[in-house]
Amino acid sequence: MLVSTAFPSLSLIPDRAAVLTQLRGLLARQAGWREDVNATLPFGLAALDSHLPNGGLACGALHEIVPTTQAALPAAFGFVVAILARLSSSYGVGLADSERMDAHCLPHGFPNGPPYGTERRIVFVMPAHALRQCGRLSGHGLKSLGLNPRRAILIETAHWQDSLWALVEALRSQAPQAAAGMIDRIDLKTSQKLHLAAVDAGLPLLLLRPSQTLESSAAATRWRIDAAAGARDRFGSYARARWQVQLERCRNGRSGEWVVEYDHVAHRFSLVAALADLSLSRGAGDQSRRQANRS
Amino acid sequence: MQAISPVGKPIDPERPLVLAIAATGGPRIAAMNEAAENVGIAIGDPVADARAKADSLQVRAADSGADDAALRRLTLWATRYTPTASPWCREPWSEENGADGFFLDIEGAAHLFGGEESLLADLAGRLNRFGLLARLAIAATPGMAWALSHFNAAPQSILPSGNEAAAIAAMPIKALRLSGESRAVLRRLGFKSVGTLMDKPRAPLAARFSDELLRRLDQALGRIDEPLIPVTAPPVYHSLNYLLEPIISQQAIVARACRLMQNLVHVLVRDQVGARALRLSLYGLDGAVETIDIGLTAPTRSVAHVARLIDLKLDTLAAMQDAGFGFEAIGLAVTRVAPMPARQIDSNIDRHLQLRATAENDDDIAALIDALRQRLGSNRVRQFEAVPSHIPERAEKLTEVNGKTFQSAPPRSEDSYWLLADDKTRPLLLLPQAEPAEVTALVPEGPPRRLRWRGVTYDITGAQGPERIAEEWWRNPSPYPPPQAGEGKEGSLTRDYYFVEDGEGHRFWLYREGLYGRETAAARWFVHGLFA
Repeated sequence: MLVSTAFPSLSLIPDRAAVLTQLRGLLARQAGWREDVNATLPFGLAALDSHLPNGGLACGALHEIVPTTQAALPAAFGFVVAILARLSSSYGVGLADSERMDAHCLPHGFPNGPPYGTERRIVFVMPAHALRQCGRLSGHGLKSLGLNPRRAILIETAHWQDSLWALVEALRSQAPQAAAGMIDRIDLKTSQKLHLAAVDAGLPLLLLRPSQTLESSAAATRWRIDAAAGARDRFGSYARARWQVQLERCRNGRSGEWVVEYDHVAHRFSLVAALADLSLSRGAGDQSRRQANRS
Repeated sequence: MQAISPVGKPIDPERPLVLAIAATGGPRIAAMNEAAENVGIAIGDPVADARAKADSLQVRAADSGADDAALRRLTLWATRYTPTASPWCREPWSEENGADGFFLDIEGAAHLFGGEESLLADLAGRLNRFGLLARLAIAATPGMAWALSHFNAAPQSILPSGNEAAAIAAMPIKALRLSGESRAVLRRLGFKSVGTLMDKPRAPLAARFSDELLRRLDQALGRIDEPLIPVTAPPVYHSLNYLLEPIISQQAIVARACRLMQNLVHVLVRDQVGARALRLSLYGLDGAVETIDIGLTAPTRSVAHVARLIDLKLDTLAAMQDAGFGFEAIGLAVTRVAPMPARQIDSNIDRHLQLRATAENDDDIAALIDALRQRLGSNRVRQFEAVPSHIPERAEKLTEVNGKTFQSAPPRSEDSYWLLADDKTRPLLLLPQAEPAEVTALVPEGPPRRLRWRGVTYDITGAQGPERIAEEWWRNPSPYPPPQAGEGKEGSLTRDYYFVEDGEGHRFWLYREGLYGRETAAARWFVHGLFA
């Protein structure tokens, strides 16, 4: 009775799935998300997308990406860049799913590449001390992950407060297509501020956090990324980047764990194995190889 | 021997005070106060004589650097009257004006103060309030104004245009701003006043005094121009506001600046230009001038944008200094403009919409970059630029995003620098400096099998390479490899790059420096990048 008075429209819908969808929408609204933010960026993998609300990474939201160990930082970086590259390749943040699938089945949406200027910029905010630790982003490296380096605006900050300010400023201007940053420590309140800025702007904010992050935050999702042995082609040479991706927290969604592979030409993620324990499979592979060597 | 006490007892302004400079034969007086003048001391006297004339003479060392700085500050302050203010300088290569005053080019500015008389009165009153006794003169030429200010009996004088010859004729030779040498020669020849010099034929004077004498004479009479060197670059457009009450708060300053920008916008729109650089000058009540320079990535006419940039800059300034007694005038100058024509509507509506969206996004990005540069510093906001080079660390560079790099639509050809052959892989993260690592390989020329870097050992399960990258010989002064192995210059060795992966999936970009046997006896390994 209570439900029907609170949400009179629900009682009219007999379909269970539709009811669930609508309830999820209400949940999102409750969490302070903008209503028209149904713009999402799907991974193109049913296994992943089914865990995320609205079948993809919400565009107007804060997402945290955390490497499991310090050594996995490059992998986490790669994941961030891959998402950003995908975001720009499928312009269709607002396109229907079928169209989008078409768009990224082709190597490029435009035969000669997109016309210059229609590609919006992406803002990277990096603290200066990270430079010594893990080096700086390389333009050729971005290119080899499928992101046009000319779109990147790199901001180096001396202080974490400057990083915060730069991120909020970038989001508020609504000029870039996305913002990505690396921030050591933020408390719940700051993360709420960042999340709201992302929601207001309708732009994704990808935040790379240090591996020891444990405190709660307002982020829509938190991904833990670990390195995984790369995919090889049949000649044994390295073909594609592979990451172990764990969706640790997801608001209005479910957590999960996958090993994904990223193809930078098609900007496409693919699932590698449903095996939870990757070391098992790798160990097996090593063993068989050793046996082969012996024989 | 008299010692010049540097800083000692506090100065009593009522008693004679002189500033001394070191000269041959003991210190001499460079400047003095009124009390000293009354006692009969003259500039150039030895300090010893002066001490004899005045008992308990206060002597301080003259600091010409501080004088110049003070004059510069005062000249900056004087830009509240006109943008073109030029301090007199004492540099050896320029003529000696004597570094104790400045020229103001008040052409077209006097009426703003109600005429030349009231401008002069206003200036004198304000300088008086700073504790400066000023001698002011208005004349048609800088030379004439200089002469009047030095040799006219009245402290303030205005010479109507056209009377220069008559006015300067009665003045002594010194009024011509000649070098000491020329003055001495003229004195020896018996010339006392400028008038006697003006009657003489020019040719002998030109032969005797190089060009200095006649040039100074012509400059004073307005026959040739005298260029003034302004203390700051004169603005293209300028808007100034004098306030009845001094303002202190940041909000008030921004609000005033907004109004000034609104005044400028009309002119900018009329001329179809946008501002590329702005300067905000805050004239303090105490004569100090605070200038804030604002560079813009794209030409703009937006009042809100400029106001925000000023606000951001004031944020960082407020921590450093206080406003003192407040600011009595505030000026906004457009120092650089760029054409900003009205955008044309494309006949194809779809294309028009697309172009407009692109242009609007460019504007937004430019505004964002401006704000970031203003707060974080201009060298903090950068973008990638490809460089045609094989050496990985040289193949790209980060350039500051400014008007030049942002505006120039990158040529299509530059894209090709980003293209690499398919078999080449480049890491996502490049270390700022390749870091040495311990590497074990099965054979010296073979791929690495174990890597120890930053204190962690990685067992390498897969290696791909080598990709051999040789030093670019055209950069190297000696193109031939060194004759003996091991004598190679640092950084001039061939590198063999390997892509390696350990069992955990950590991917590195390593290189071995030097070719065994040919370039080096013991090759070293470096980690240069990290793959995603």
